[in-house]
Amino acid sequence: MAEPCGLGSGPSLMARFLVKRILSAVLTLFAVSVLTFLMFFALPRDPVSGMCPKNCNPERQERVRQELGLSDPLVDQYAGYMLGIVTGRDLGGAQGGRCDAPCLGWSYVNNEAVTDTLVRVVPVTLSIVVPAAVLWLLLGVGLGLVSALRRGTWIDRAAIGFTLAGASLQIYFVGAVLLLVFVYTLGWLPVPSYTSIFDDPVRWAGGLVLAWLSLALLFSAGYARLFRAQLLETLNEDFVRTARAKGLSGPAVYGRHALRAAIAPVVTVAGLDVGAALGGTVITETTFGIQGLGRTAVDAVRAGDLPTIMATVLVAAVFVVLANLLVDLLYAVIDPRVRLS
Amino acid sequence: MRPRVAVAVSGAFALVAALSACPANTGGSPSVDSGRQPTGVIATDPKDSTGPAPELAGARRGGTFTVLRETPISHLDPQRTYSFAGLMAVPLVARSLTTWKDDGAGNLTLVGDLAETPGRDVNDDCRIWEFTVKDGVRFEDGRPVTAREIAYGIARSFDPDLTGGPTYLQEWLADTPQYDTAWDFTANRGSLPPGLTTPDARTLRFEFARPRCDLPFAASLPSTAPLPPDRDTGVNLGNAPFSSGPYKVTRYRPGIEIVMERNEHWDAGTDPVRHQYPDRFVWSFGATPDAAANRIIADNGTDRSALSWDYVPASLVARVAGDAALRSRTLLSPTPSANHLVINNERVTDLRVRQALNHAIDREGLVKVLGGPHVAVPMTTLMPPATIGHRAYDAYPAGPNGDPDRARELLGGQRPELVLGAADSSVEQQVATQLKGNLERAGFVITIRNIPDDAKFDEIKKRGNPWDLYLSSWAGDWPSGASILPVLYDGRAIRATGNSNESYFNDATINAEFDRILALPPSEQGPHWARLDERIMREHAPVVPLYVDVAYLVHGSKAGGAFVSSVFGYPSLVDAHVEP
Repeated sequence: MAEPCGLGSGPSLMARFLVKRILSAVLTLFAVSVLTFLMFFALPRDPVSGMCPKNCNPERQERVRQELGLSDPLVDQYAGYMLGIVTGRDLGGAQGGRCDAPCLGWSYVNNEAVTDTLVRVVPVTLSIVVPAAVLWLLLGVGLGLVSALRRGTWIDRAAIGFTLAGASLQIYFVGAVLLLVFVYTLGWLPVPSYTSIFDDPVRWAGGLVLAWLSLALLFSAGYARLFRAQLLETLNEDFVRTARAKGLSGPAVYGRHALRAAIAPVVTVAGLDVGAALGGTVITETTFGIQGLGRTAVDAVRAGDLPTIMATVLVAAVFVVLANLLVDLLYAVIDPRVRLS
Repeated sequence: MRPRVAVAVSGAFALVAALSACPANTGGSPSVDSGRQPTGVIATDPKDSTGPAPELAGARRGGTFTVLRETPISHLDPQRTYSFAGLMAVPLVARSLTTWKDDGAGNLTLVGDLAETPGRDVNDDCRIWEFTVKDGVRFEDGRPVTAREIAYGIARSFDPDLTGGPTYLQEWLADTPQYDTAWDFTANRGSLPPGLTTPDARTLRFEFARPRCDLPFAASLPSTAPLPPDRDTGVNLGNAPFSSGPYKVTRYRPGIEIVMERNEHWDAGTDPVRHQYPDRFVWSFGATPDAAANRIIADNGTDRSALSWDYVPASLVARVAGDAALRSRTLLSPTPSANHLVINNERVTDLRVRQALNHAIDREGLVKVLGGPHVAVPMTTLMPPATIGHRAYDAYPAGPNGDPDRARELLGGQRPELVLGAADSSVEQQVATQLKGNLERAGFVITIRNIPDDAKFDEIKKRGNPWDLYLSSWAGDWPSGASILPVLYDGRAIRATGNSNESYFNDATINAEFDRILALPPSEQGPHWARLDERIMREHAPVVPLYVDVAYLVHGSKAGGAFVSSVFGYPSLVDAHVEP
């Protein structure tokens, strides 16, 4: 007999599925953290040089090295770093003293705890990516849907043309043109900036709308093409034909059966894209002059700000892993075969 | 001074430049006053050091003056700031012992800022200096500034935790570069470093083991800013500096924005230089140089009273220079940042080879590669023209495009194989490729070896580094040869790492000349430095002088009063105002 469908009918299976995925995510993050930590020592810039005064000599460098704990065994340093994330740690006077959990170290370039930097820049990136993702999914899936349902018509061709154009453009082109037209020339929109949504939702939206539109324009192209292809394939499946033969209405066939099957790959790609974008929309942030996670990471690389590099890589990894986890869960909801496999 | 890091031109915004590169009116572009001869004096009349600064015609109080800048200011803590942005921003919130009266055209007068005069050389031997603190100078909470708070500010600069600032005073007081081992600030917070005393509340006294004739200059750096001990927040002071200047920080959002508003306890009558015209200054960070320039050119909303801190990027120079309508909204000035092709003298020991290198360079071509005369101006001297006493000369005349024949002649048939170390930044790669072409047509065999951009600064300062040639720049902390020639060419200071003498040049006769000139009164040193500059080049050719950076800035139609500092080459805001 076949397994019953639905979430409620297989709670133990679902729990096992969840635990497996979470353990996998933790393992991934552990690997990333180790690699990132090792990268700290592999980079050509000596972390001591940033802390050492201008007329640094070997003795003074050594003293700074001791203060930073860089002479300790790597394992101890790693353990101290990870423990600091959970319990906080004392970084010494040169690094602002006590660093409360989650402590990700001290940036001697920004002169602040790295956690404070992240608290400031992560909401910026979230504010760019989440609304943009909603836009690009709506636009992409909408275009794909219309294109598939009107296959071969001028609507289909127009939609395909739009997606081709979108797929071939770059954010720095689209963004620069939008800025030139709407900000510098027409003056219809304010200069892109970030304001907290809790402080002023209108300014928040006004300052980021060009970034959303740019991202949506570019990303939606791929989704439209993907969803169109999936939907066309699904519409030729036997179960759709069966549904039609049973006399179901068009909306019921598309909405209840075809769309659900065709959306699964879109969810997968969206999860990966959103995760990667949250990890750093560096070109978007640079194009619009907004300081988010991506730009902070690049600035840190330029300045050799290793604690910030480590933290931004870790946070980006967390976003990607969480996005993948979410995709797995959504997949399980959309397609019961996944959690049974 | 740290070399200015060359800003890579963003390909992303070149597009906007291309799209908008249609000048509205080509009325001829402005040219750089590259031959301007700076003058500099130390004020002897105490009246020069009193306020208020003369009113600017047409300037009014009110409004918000915005400064757009890509990267945040590294430190607002006066004892830690050392970037150009910091050196220009901090004087709005912190006064120093001395300061420069600057007309923006190279005419400078060193005057007392917190002090009544630029200092008194007690025995005329530059070993003991006294400064008398002005009456009426106050902190932002209204309490008076006394010699004790100034002394405490200097003392805290000994704290090894407070990295980043200049180290002149510490090294001179401790008489050793290892000043923090000579005097431990943390263990002696209640006392003062050796040689620094406050005989009374208004007198600050420096006693040095050796003549330090440049003290009045060094005292103009923000490291002499005062701080009451009870307001010392250590490494966090930069987030909320305690003001003694015309403005105080009222909002600090790291990496995003700094807002400075009027300090009501600042007394214009005590300040010979600063004004307090705008209600507030807003430093806004994040916009790339291209984006900032485009915003300023568009001249919309609050950008009308804004200044783009970063120089006009190469991608927009042609547009800005060609638009007559923008003429009144640009600032154009040579800067003190001198760029050299540094020769590692410990590797390239043959003088004729070093002279041949000097003959081979096509400076005009190099300036074109860099973006034209609004970006760089050729230079053939060690000290930039913005140095007091500078005298133009060309020890190896080769015309604007170099003289490869003369270089080949000097090489006498040899084909020296040299390694050119170049940072892997786009600008430096372009320059290195250009130089390689110049040198190879003169008979050299050049191999370019890339150095990671963020590591190059440290690597070329290591003695025994593996490169024969590398690019480097230097801007003195004050416009005197004393902050350039001995710093870069005194071989006695060469050590294992962290060398400012990146050419590793060491000559006993020249070193003795440094000592002789440094013992002269600063007002007499200028011509001596100029003569020594030429002598070093003619006799030793330790580097190839290439070009000085040019400051080219745009501001909004209502942003008035900003000018390019003759000392640092970046915008000075002491006269800034918002026009009606």
